[in-house]
Order: sequence, then C-alpha cells, then structure tokens
Amino acid sequence: MATQFIDVDVRPTLRAGGEPFGAIMAAIAKLQPGQGLRLLATFEPVPLFHVLGSKGFSHVAKEIGGGDWEVLFSPAATASVDTTPAKPASDTGAWPSPVQEMDNRDLDPPEPMVRILAAAEAMANGEVLSALLCREPMFLLPELAKRGHAWRGGFEPDGKTYKILIRVGAAKEAA
Amino acid sequence: MVGVALSRWTMSYFATAVLALIAAEGLMLAGIGYPHTAIAAPESLLLVHLVAIGWLSLLMCGALFQFVPVLVNRPLDSNTLPLPTLILLVAGLAALLLGFAQLGGTIQTPFGFFPAAAILLGAGFVLVLWNLGRTLWAERPLPLPARFVVVGLCSLAATVFLGIIFALVLGGVATKPHLLDVTALGLPIHVIAGLGGWLTFTAFGVSYRLLAMFMLAPELEGRTTRGALYVGTAALTVAIVGGMAAICTSTNVIWPIGAAGGLGLLALALYGGDIQHLYRARKRRVIELNSRMAGIALANLAVTVALGIGLLFAGRFNDHVGVVVFLVAFAWLTGFGLAKLYKIVAFLTWLECYGPVLGKTATPRVQDLVTEPRAQKWFALYFVAVWIAAISLLLTTPSLFRLGVGAMLLATIGIGVQLMRTRRLANVAPALRLPKGTRPPHLLHSSVQPS
Repeated sequence: MATQFIDVDVRPTLRAGGEPFGAIMAAIAKLQPGQGLRLLATFEPVPLFHVLGSKGFSHVAKEIGGGDWEVLFSPAATASVDTTPAKPASDTGAWPSPVQEMDNRDLDPPEPMVRILAAAEAMANGEVLSALLCREPMFLLPELAKRGHAWRGGFEPDGKTYKILIRVGAAKEAA
Repeated sequence: MVGVALSRWTMSYFATAVLALIAAEGLMLAGIGYPHTAIAAPESLLLVHLVAIGWLSLLMCGALFQFVPVLVNRPLDSNTLPLPTLILLVAGLAALLLGFAQLGGTIQTPFGFFPAAAILLGAGFVLVLWNLGRTLWAERPLPLPARFVVVGLCSLAATVFLGIIFALVLGGVATKPHLLDVTALGLPIHVIAGLGGWLTFTAFGVSYRLLAMFMLAPELEGRTTRGALYVGTAALTVAIVGGMAAICTSTNVIWPIGAAGGLGLLALALYGGDIQHLYRARKRRVIELNSRMAGIALANLAVTVALGIGLLFAGRFNDHVGVVVFLVAFAWLTGFGLAKLYKIVAFLTWLECYGPVLGKTATPRVQDLVTEPRAQKWFALYFVAVWIAAISLLLTTPSLFRLGVGAMLLATIGIGVQLMRTRRLANVAPALRLPKGTRPPHLLHSSVQPS
C-alpha cells in the first residue's frame, strides 16, 4: 500500500522567524487514513519526531541540500498506543511556560547537566524548565528518563544553540 | 533519540591497553627489538605489534565504543559484543607475538601461531567493524568527525586484511606467488594504513569533537575540515589501493606512496590549521591538563612530519625510518592517547558513580577525581623521555636510548597509577566520595543503568 503524502513547506515561516508547529499539527489533523505528511524545513526537526512518533507516525529524514531537510511522516500500520507505550501522553499536548530558564552555553561540560538536574530536583511536578546548550546533551537524556522527567529538545534555526524543555515528573505521571 | 549510555567494557579495553604499553616499554628497556635488532627483525615486529594492537588499537577500540555513539547520537549497536571482541583480540595478539617469537627462534614448537593469530585477530576486528559499522550506518548522513572515523575503520579493514595475508604466508599456509609478492612488498602499505589511516586519521576525527567540547571551542564543519577529510581520504586511497595495484602489476610501490605522501602533507596542513584555530577560538581560557598535553602531542606530530621531510630531502629517510615510526607511535599517538585517557576515565567514572544522584545531594566535580599537578609531572617526564629516546635513535647512542625508555616506562606507570586512583575515587575527599545512593565503580567494567 503506497502512502500518499501531503506537502507542508514550513521553510518560509522558519526563515521569517515564525513558529510552524501549529500549522504542522493542523495539517496532521486533516490527514485522511493512509495519508502521510511530507515536511520541508530549514533544519532537522528532531522535537517533531517525538511528538508525531507518539501520534503513531514513523519518519524518514534526509538533507536535501542548502541545509534544508525533507521528512516523510508515514502513519504506522498498528495503533499508536501499541507502538510507543513508554511515551507519556502529556508529551503531545501543549506544555505550560517554563518557570525557569537557564543559559548553559558557556559552561564547561558536564556543568550544564549538573545544573539542569539540580534545578529539576527543586521544581514541582508538571513545571517546565528551559535550558540553552551548545550541543545535544547526550548523557543527560538517559538520566532524565530514569528520573521520570519528559523532555523536548532540538537545535534552534541557528544550528548552534540546542534548546531543551524539561517537564518535571511528566513521564512518571503518564506511566 | 534517547541519549547515550555508558559503554560497558570500555574500561577493560583501557586497562588491557595500558598494561600492553607498560609491557612494550619494559621489552624496549630490556633491549629486545629495535634499535638493538634491525627494524624488520622478528623481535622488533613483536614489539611493534604489542604497541600497535595491544596498546593503541585496544585504546582506540575502547574509546570508539563509547565515543561513536556520542558522535552520531545513537546507542552502540551491541553493548555486550565488546567483551568477546576483546577476548578474541587479546588471544589473537598473544598468538601473533608467539608467532614472531617462533619466527625468531626464541620458542620452538610446530604449532601454527601465525594462522591462529590471523583467525583470532581477523574475527576480533571484524566484530569491531561490525558493531561500530552498524551504529554508524544507521545514522547517515554522518557529521564530519564521524566521517573521519569511517575512513579510519576502512583503513583498519585494509590493515587487518594485509596482516592476515602476511600471517598466512609467514605461517606457511599461503604459498600463492601473488600473496608472496604482497608479503615481500606490502609492508609500507600495512604500516601506512595502520598508523596513518586507522590510528592517526581516527584520532583526527576524535580530536575535532573532543577538543571543541573540552575547550568550549566552536565545532568546525567548514571548508578546511572537509578539505582535510577529502584530501586525507584521497591520500589513504592512493597509498592503499594504488599501492596494492602497483604490487599486483609489478610497478614500483614508491610511486603511489610518493603521491599519497604529497596529498597526506596537504591534509596534515589543513588539519593543523583547524586545530590551531580550535585552540585560539576557545572560550575557555584556562584549559585542563588533557587539552594541554594533547597540544604537546599535536606539536610532536608536526615535528615528526617536519623531521620526515628533512630526512627525505637529506636522502636519509630509509636509515632513520625507525625514528619516524617511534615518534608517530610514542610522541604523537601515545601522547595524545594518554592525554585523552586521563580525561575520559575521570569523566566516565564520574558519570557512572555520581550521575544517578546529581542534584539530589552534594557530589564532587569531575575535576575532584583527578590531581592534575601530580599527573602533570608524569606527563612532563613522559614527553621529555620520548624526546631523549628519539634523539638517541637519531644519534645511534643505545645507552641514552635505554635511559629514555626507562623514563618513559616510569612515567607511564605513574600515569597508570593516576588513572587507577581516578577510577577508585581515591582523589576525592572522603566526606564527598560516596554519598547516599552511590556505589564505587568496578575497575574493569561500567554498570549500565537501565533507563
């Protein structure tokens, strides 16, 4: 069964400094059964993989030149609940505004990780922490998962700053 | 994306590797192998392989099992396979060393150590390539540093392929004329693929990321970095593929190797420019011991290249090829390896022990696990000792060489003790050492926490 892909090009929105998340989710909502989404973006939209993954979409991403990315989101054959049992339900909805923001870009590794975990410990369940980093926090993520925090992260359009949002205890609540 | 877990067996690779380095330096001190015998004598080959496989390759494999997942942001394909891999590699190395001892007449038994080494080392390195290859393959397109690693792994495959042919010929199993030609003429290609492709080129890839990370310098992905990758890859391809083609067509191997040398110099220049830029553009003004010592190792590489060129123009390269190989192995690769090991052991131990309780209780910093002033003395002794040994090789003064190698051995043991103290948390103040909820890490393997 060939999937029919609906095109969504968010590159103009991103280049204008806009936020295309709403438009993408609106397009997803309009998809007919068996239809997928062909997304064109100016960077690899990693956070979206998780959001749409929990809605039952698998993805194939490729760089198409000029720093642009094409991502094909295909509906999975099985129900989304079965394919991603570990994903917290709250991950798909809107998160509250961060109660704390930190800029960890100029800190020596692993100081950003230490500061984020310490801040998360002091926050109440459901609160969101926002942090800027200068690279993907590879060793932080397993620790967040273990402590039951949900997170969304990705590179900003500048390609140099990695922004991570952490919702304290959200993964634990959903489990 | 779920982040990266600790590599379970990396510490075992590191421990075995350091022991192999100490053993090799002990043999040199005891007067076994080059310069006391010819560089192509069986005793010298035994020594060279103890260093190249036992120390440098195990160090690199252990590091890559942890580092490749960080480079491509994907868990290692198998976190259990590295242990059987290590067992095969160590058994294969032992067989190879016994094979050289047999070749030199030190031991006399009819057992075919060379064919055994070919099988065991071949299997071990195939598992390395399989595990890392699958991890890398799944994450295409790869970031630039990972592409250096891919070229390094291809060079490893070429090195092992040639090594297996040599072992089978020396073991008397292979007798085809072509294979005898390869064994007679292929040594320079084996050395270039191993020291140049596998060890040096992979270290380049690793250095781009680690130096940027530890010095807070911008990640380099520009024209010069791509240039270093492409020109370096071209140099290795010309040397390895062109060299093999020359042997098979009875052309002089010097042509492809000469052409590769020119390209290699260009790649080295591009890489050198990049690294200088990294050190200059760093945001962190006061850098840690590992970055300072890596800087000395990189400078040693530049001096080695300059010396090689000088010897070539003076027409003395063939007389002193041993000095150049010695400097590549000890001044550059070992210096860089020990410097990075000093940081990696501290960081991985810190993460394993204190990661689970970060933010919940007071924990030491990574730098509390090391005592840099003490380690710095051993590093300084090591580098001075290497220079003394290298100069004595140039001047052909064996007693001075012994002195240099003795000091290298002492310094390596000193650094080894520091690494052990770090792993044992011995440098951490007792009150901070093991807060509630932590366990002391095992010396030889890391507990991988379920996530």
